[in-house]
Amino acid sequence: MTAITSAGLAGPKELTEALRLCAAGDRRGLRLIYESEAARMLGVAIRLLRRRDIAEEAVHDCFVKVWQRAASFDPTRGDARSWLYAVLRNRALDILRGEGRTDLVDDFEPMGLEDDGETPEQAVERLSDTGALRRCLEKLNPVRRNAILLAYVNGLTHGEIAGRLGLPLGTVKTWIRRGVLALKECMA
Amino acid sequence: MSAGDDDRLAAEHVMGLLDGAERDRAEQMLDNDPAYGRLYRDWQDRFAELDLSAPAITPSAALWPSIEASVASLPAAVVHSRAVPRPVRQARPSLWSSLGFWRPAALAAGLAAVMLATGLVAALNRAARTPVLVAVLVTDTSKPAAIVNAFADGRTELVPLESIAVPPGKALEIWTLWDRARGPVSVGLIGQARSVPLRLDGLPRPGPDQLFEITLEDAKGSPTGRPTGPVLMKGTASTAL
Repeated sequence: MTAITSAGLAGPKELTEALRLCAAGDRRGLRLIYESEAARMLGVAIRLLRRRDIAEEAVHDCFVKVWQRAASFDPTRGDARSWLYAVLRNRALDILRGEGRTDLVDDFEPMGLEDDGETPEQAVERLSDTGALRRCLEKLNPVRRNAILLAYVNGLTHGEIAGRLGLPLGTVKTWIRRGVLALKECMA
Repeated sequence: MSAGDDDRLAAEHVMGLLDGAERDRAEQMLDNDPAYGRLYRDWQDRFAELDLSAPAITPSAALWPSIEASVASLPAAVVHSRAVPRPVRQARPSLWSSLGFWRPAALAAGLAAVMLATGLVAALNRAARTPVLVAVLVTDTSKPAAIVNAFADGRTELVPLESIAVPPGKALEIWTLWDRARGPVSVGLIGQARSVPLRLDGLPRPGPDQLFEITLEDAKGSPTGRPTGPVLMKGTASTAL
């Protein structure tokens, strides 16, 4: 399985340059980021939001924010792609946590109960066989691994994960804390 | 707070597990505390591959144009501001700019426009009156509630599809938005839902994707010249078949 290296992906330097163009008000920068990242961003947003129309909305809002905030990106303090995905994830989580979305409450109701989209196992399988993240996730107790992935990949809250896994809330919180500690140690 | 607590906070921050107050606090630390920023970015880096290996799903063709339109409508001062603060969450974005409303509404309207335009034209059998553009205005439940027809000679009319209860002292005001920089413009005011020609004199001819909406306003019309009342229905124009 090809994990990261699909065609059309811009390198960190190109993305940094594209953000610089955005900060200077040059739309070509935004287009370059779009060409490189929009499809993958939509994939990330769909895993979090389930619904494609809302996921596209999150990607839309993400690009508007990237345009507005490009000047605040500091290449000495981090990677352009991480910055871009943080903008996307924050927007998607805002939507997911119900910011001003009463209009869609009904549609949201069955969410997470029927169509789970990609499972945590599938998300792990997409990771590179040789990468540290996959190796270290696979070392974790499966329940802890699932809890971490349900949060990061599917956007579930502590409470939702507890419900999904049939565990008390406190247990889930503790397991996730221990899981991320183990993950950090393993990846160090 | 110990470094371990901050690290735990950063991990859960990146995982999206913080709620309300805790998340706000973490966002503030991210802005103001370089040490926390490093912890946060370390966690971003650890999880990054999960995002980069997500399935690539081609966005709909409408996504980029809608991004361009939104970006073009931003005031220049915001775009070029250097000291960009973390944007305050918009208190309550107006429906005009709410994609949550527009995306499903536009999809529904697009579909409905095609069906209704075809159906109506056949039913009315008035070939000479075939509109060049049709906007189906839908309610917040995506139910078609009125049609705007624009004809080749420049006439534009509103045709309600269902009656609307208008309280005494109130009226229905019809708005159009063809230029986000200028904002919505009133093109008609009616006391009750009825067919009515729209005043588009002085405005450019309606084009595809031009927005129309009806709000409930005072009987004399919106006091501000902008929509102030609840939006009853809205839709975008599509080229008629």
